[in-house]
Amino acid sequence: MSIRMNRRDVLRHGAALLGSAALTTTPLTQALSQSKVRVRFAGYVESQEQLTQTLAVLKLYSEKNPGVEIIPEFTNFGAFTDKIATETAGGNAPDMFSVNVDLLAEYARRGVTTPLDAYVPNPINLADYLQSAVNAAKFDGKQYAIPNDAIGPTIITNASSFEKAGIKVPDQMWTWEDLAETSAALSKALGPRFWGVEDAGGNYIPCDIFLRGRGKSMFTPDHKLGFALEDMEAWYAYWKMMRDTKATPPGDVQALAGNDDPSTAGIVAGRAAMNITLTDSFVGFQALSQDNFVLHMMPNGFRGGEMKQRHYCYAGNSTTVSAKSPNQKQVIDIIRFMHFDPEGAKTYYTNSGMIPCSKAGRDALAASGTDADRKIIAYLDLLQKDPAPPRYPGVPGMTGMLTRANEGVAFGKMTPKEAAQQFINEVSVRLKK
Amino acid sequence: MSTTLSGTASLESATAPEARPRRHKAVGINARQNGAAFLFLAPWLIGLVFLTLGPILASFYLSLTRYDMFTPPQWLGLDNYVKMFAEDGRYYQSLRVTFTYVFLSVPLKLAFALGIAMLLNRGLKGLGFYRSVYYLPSLLGGSVAVAIMWRQVFAYDGIINQILLKFGIDGPSWITSTDYALYTLVALAVWQFGSPMVIFLAGLKQIPQDIYDAAEVDGAGPVRKFFSVTLPLLTPIIFFNFVMQIIGAFQAFTPAYIISGGKGGPADATLFYTLYLYEQAFTNFQMGYASAMAWVLVAIIGLATTLSFQSARYWVHYGDER
Repeated sequence: MSIRMNRRDVLRHGAALLGSAALTTTPLTQALSQSKVRVRFAGYVESQEQLTQTLAVLKLYSEKNPGVEIIPEFTNFGAFTDKIATETAGGNAPDMFSVNVDLLAEYARRGVTTPLDAYVPNPINLADYLQSAVNAAKFDGKQYAIPNDAIGPTIITNASSFEKAGIKVPDQMWTWEDLAETSAALSKALGPRFWGVEDAGGNYIPCDIFLRGRGKSMFTPDHKLGFALEDMEAWYAYWKMMRDTKATPPGDVQALAGNDDPSTAGIVAGRAAMNITLTDSFVGFQALSQDNFVLHMMPNGFRGGEMKQRHYCYAGNSTTVSAKSPNQKQVIDIIRFMHFDPEGAKTYYTNSGMIPCSKAGRDALAASGTDADRKIIAYLDLLQKDPAPPRYPGVPGMTGMLTRANEGVAFGKMTPKEAAQQFINEVSVRLKK
Repeated sequence: MSTTLSGTASLESATAPEARPRRHKAVGINARQNGAAFLFLAPWLIGLVFLTLGPILASFYLSLTRYDMFTPPQWLGLDNYVKMFAEDGRYYQSLRVTFTYVFLSVPLKLAFALGIAMLLNRGLKGLGFYRSVYYLPSLLGGSVAVAIMWRQVFAYDGIINQILLKFGIDGPSWITSTDYALYTLVALAVWQFGSPMVIFLAGLKQIPQDIYDAAEVDGAGPVRKFFSVTLPLLTPIIFFNFVMQIIGAFQAFTPAYIISGGKGGPADATLFYTLYLYEQAFTNFQMGYASAMAWVLVAIIGLATTLSFQSARYWVHYGDER
């Protein structure tokens, strides 16, 4: 008790203590971080199952590589796009993160991510990957991302509803007119409060396939709009006709679906027989329904026009690497483990709802997976028989712009032509940036 | 005044011999104590300067630039502001939605809160219980869960329509119809009347019973008592609640975000100002434009508050005024 401190001394010594703590922590944290490499991996997942398997494979990697600590930051797609934009802007980008085709273009263009060509084919060998997916993960000819899965456009079809209505599920090669007539017949047989197909006027991929049926496309390979005003007007007019003939629900009912939430989809909620979407929704939709769902192609042309397979496969989810990451080699090794290590790949894909992008992975899953997995793999094989040109990168926010214009027509606030003009104006502004 | 002055003077002159050194010492103590005070205030001060003032000033600078968050900002001057008012149709839509919401939800909510507060002010047994029950929606108010519940209630196959179906009415999907979506959000706001209600209740308890007694002696009925006693004496509370609710309503975000899936749909029917600002910033990467929008919102809220205060002198009666 010989040391007596007054308040001033406490403050002074306190400050000194704080100061010395600040000095010592710097080397201390450095020492700690040197002993263990920390890799931040941010991404989006389509389902709880996919999240479980992703976390499992990352844990497995950390167990086998005690020197690497992986910090997983996963969420759904909507939240992810905001989060990654904010973190990147704040100079706090994760070492590795998920992208889709449009995000890939956006981040590659701004130099946020780095080309990975130096790691292909060794240790990342993409030889038996779906080439359309590998190509869709390129920007300016460089490989900016590694595809994690394979997806394709599809109409998820409730075969039980068709049976109940006494209508045969149509052939895979069909026209937009066939879709309209079949849907109207289903609504008539099973309505009211039930419709043949959900409104896809705000949906990017079917719009692209519609445009391709007219010999156009949404974007061109050199990042421009690939259609004219009258093409987009025809698209919105098609969906107006679908609503008018009650083939499709009215605007207010349709607007209930969305939000990345499969339970809001009309096909799951028992409001519709068909949902125009992508194959990666199939497992989630089927899990929420007792009915028998099958995968059907979108229309491949117009009556009297050229019929040709218009669908392309690509990756719904690819991994890209931050240009500023000091741990690029480590990141590549994690990707290698998830894709090519037998134990790693098995953990990552089994029960995840994802279809592997490699032929070997698909074959393995077809042997060991669920019925739903096998249906998707068979459907993707069907699309591969006569593949269409790939999907060209566009801009983020496509669904929002398309939906807004489509809803404008659905709620009687715009003509199809005005909606088309609004959409073109909005996309053009974003393409210019 | 003069007594105080002379008093001080005489005090100083009485202690003059010792005053000088002591005053020095006093200054020293003050400085040291101030230093300590600032040290203890430091966490808050640093927070204020770096986390609040800094970003506010930075956002003003950014509002004069084109900034996509990835590449350095480019100077634009007032272009963002010009574009907002001259070219952006969706901006006007967001203003329309927000003003409609403010003008409907604030008066309705206050009327509702006052009504419930008056019911609760009738000497009920178990007042604490009822007060808590009616306050509950406000506690949950900003939460995602309530917005999701609202969606379920007003959806196509929600509770409202199931009741309507029993009467043979095939109701629309209220929450996703351009005609009704905004009004379901107004209803959600009105339902969260708890916090103004609690303040009204406290205000009602402040009104002396003798004034009511006197009014009764003069022959005033309940309606007359309400308009001639309760309402005038409550105007300071109404004014406070009004200003707070106006400010809050202009900033409404969460319910619209959750209910419309972050898009302000259908067809921009619930495109709140803040929602559009958020979309510009985080979907379109137009951070400069979003910052400009934020500053205009500050100006709008500032103007609304100023107008409220200006109008107060005509209708707010403070008890001690003559």
